[in-house]
Amino acid sequence: MTRFIRALGLVSAACLASAASGEPRYETLSVAKLPEPTPHRIYLSDVSINHIVDGRLHVIDGDALKYLGVVSLGYTGNAALSVDRRELYVATTYYSRLSRGERSDVVDIHDPQTLEHKGEIAIPSRHAQALPYKGLTRPSSDGRWLFVQNATPASSVTVVDLKARKFAAEIPTPGCWIVIPSQTAGNRFSTLCGDGTLQSIVLNDSGGFRSRARSARFFDPDEDPVFVQTDNIGDRHYFVSYKGLLHTADLSGDEPRLEAPWALVAGEDGRKAWRPSGYQLVAIHRKTGRLFVSFHAGGKEGSHKDPAKEIWVFDLEKKKRVARLPGHNAIAIAVSQDDQPKLFAIDGLKMGLAVFDAGAKPRFLKRMEQIGESATLMELH
Amino acid sequence: MKWLDDFFEQSSRRAAQRVSRRSALAGIGRLLVGVAFTLPVLPFDRVARLAEAAEGKRKKEPDESQCEYWRYCALDGFLCSCCGGSLSSCPPGTEASKVAWIGTCRNPKDGKDYLVSYNDCCGKTSCGRCLCNFNLGERPAYRMGLHNDINWCMANTSTMFHCTTAVLIGLAEKQS
Repeated sequence: MTRFIRALGLVSAACLASAASGEPRYETLSVAKLPEPTPHRIYLSDVSINHIVDGRLHVIDGDALKYLGVVSLGYTGNAALSVDRRELYVATTYYSRLSRGERSDVVDIHDPQTLEHKGEIAIPSRHAQALPYKGLTRPSSDGRWLFVQNATPASSVTVVDLKARKFAAEIPTPGCWIVIPSQTAGNRFSTLCGDGTLQSIVLNDSGGFRSRARSARFFDPDEDPVFVQTDNIGDRHYFVSYKGLLHTADLSGDEPRLEAPWALVAGEDGRKAWRPSGYQLVAIHRKTGRLFVSFHAGGKEGSHKDPAKEIWVFDLEKKKRVARLPGHNAIAIAVSQDDQPKLFAIDGLKMGLAVFDAGAKPRFLKRMEQIGESATLMELH
Repeated sequence: MKWLDDFFEQSSRRAAQRVSRRSALAGIGRLLVGVAFTLPVLPFDRVARLAEAAEGKRKKEPDESQCEYWRYCALDGFLCSCCGGSLSSCPPGTEASKVAWIGTCRNPKDGKDYLVSYNDCCGKTSCGRCLCNFNLGERPAYRMGLHNDINWCMANTSTMFHCTTAVLIGLAEKQS
């Protein structure tokens, strides 16, 4: 404290001296405002593993590569933007005495433009305390509901009524994981199941369970499981398998329908065992039908979270690879949906951010370093 | 990002040890999923009890504070051995997790595959020492019993994650 007061004294003396010489002016402390949002604003979830009770979400300007601010995630908070981008939801856990005492799980509501906390909604104390994954917290496509993945470790999904700002219902999803909201119907979501199927669940008007339907078995969870991180064009949802198959599911109806999968890896690349890997390893630019997937060579059992050696670009319609980009050790990728799309990649080894032009001729542009501690998931504005 | 640095240095070192574990892994997957659909919590409880029963039977290995120690082939977390605990004990003042997931690792000394219960220790904030990340046989959380990106303190009174143990609970059954 003494040192702090002494330092203050020095600062005041310095200010007076410079004022006398006509240089800097006296200042008033203010709170910075974010620039207008762009499609390249990044919301980067960071479990902050070394101090996990105090997770962070970093807000970064993906054009200027400037750090804009932080949102507190609490303990293993999982974040998602609202459909209209006016709110940021974080399903998280707090203890009354930091690491002990009473547990309370809430959905924190933040304003993504001011980064101020706006309120909270109490939810059952079962939210999945997991590494940030897309699909642990997701709004329904009409913005009416918020889905929160639970684990006790039994799996269920909490449905939050975003209009009434309260918990609505809990839906058991035994043996299944992750929430994939239908883009056609606000009252429906799908989930991936350990028997190699997709399951679609329809809600009633109060957010409770109405019905469910399973797909045929389409993947082998032992031999070639699918990653739970997916992306979509409308209600066509794309799933990548550990060994590089691309499965496509049509989730526009009450029953999930699968199309024949196709291989992302062929020929010499197959012999070198190139395989998809990472945490958030799939991104799609919807207008152009470009699919981005992070890959590593020499793939084997257990290598499915390796940082990328390359990022491959596919044309979904032609079912063909159109470009290979340097991997920048990516463990998470996301692409913006505008007409000058950018691909962002989180370097898992150096905790940097790599930026690519994701247009007709994809190429690496630039990097930003020291963006976080153990960040693994991005969402773009 | 020491955890991933470590992971990639060491995963290459361990590559030579990867022989055919798949059959054992597939067996475990089936074992857990077979019951998980009806009674999701039970298999994990049972595993925790087995882990307790196995206490005291293991031999301590000299390098248990290093990520490449063989039992850590699918461990994702801070080694309790670096945090005041050991392979099979939690650091003082913490609480053993009530549920856990099971990995299958090959012991280089006898070439056999063993079941390893990755129980977390709970109730204090992150240990912050010796973060390791291996994923042999790891599967997404629709195979919850084979998943390591989730907090296995989730069923404890305080779910605060502190560190991870690697408790030897048995020999992996060979599939013919």
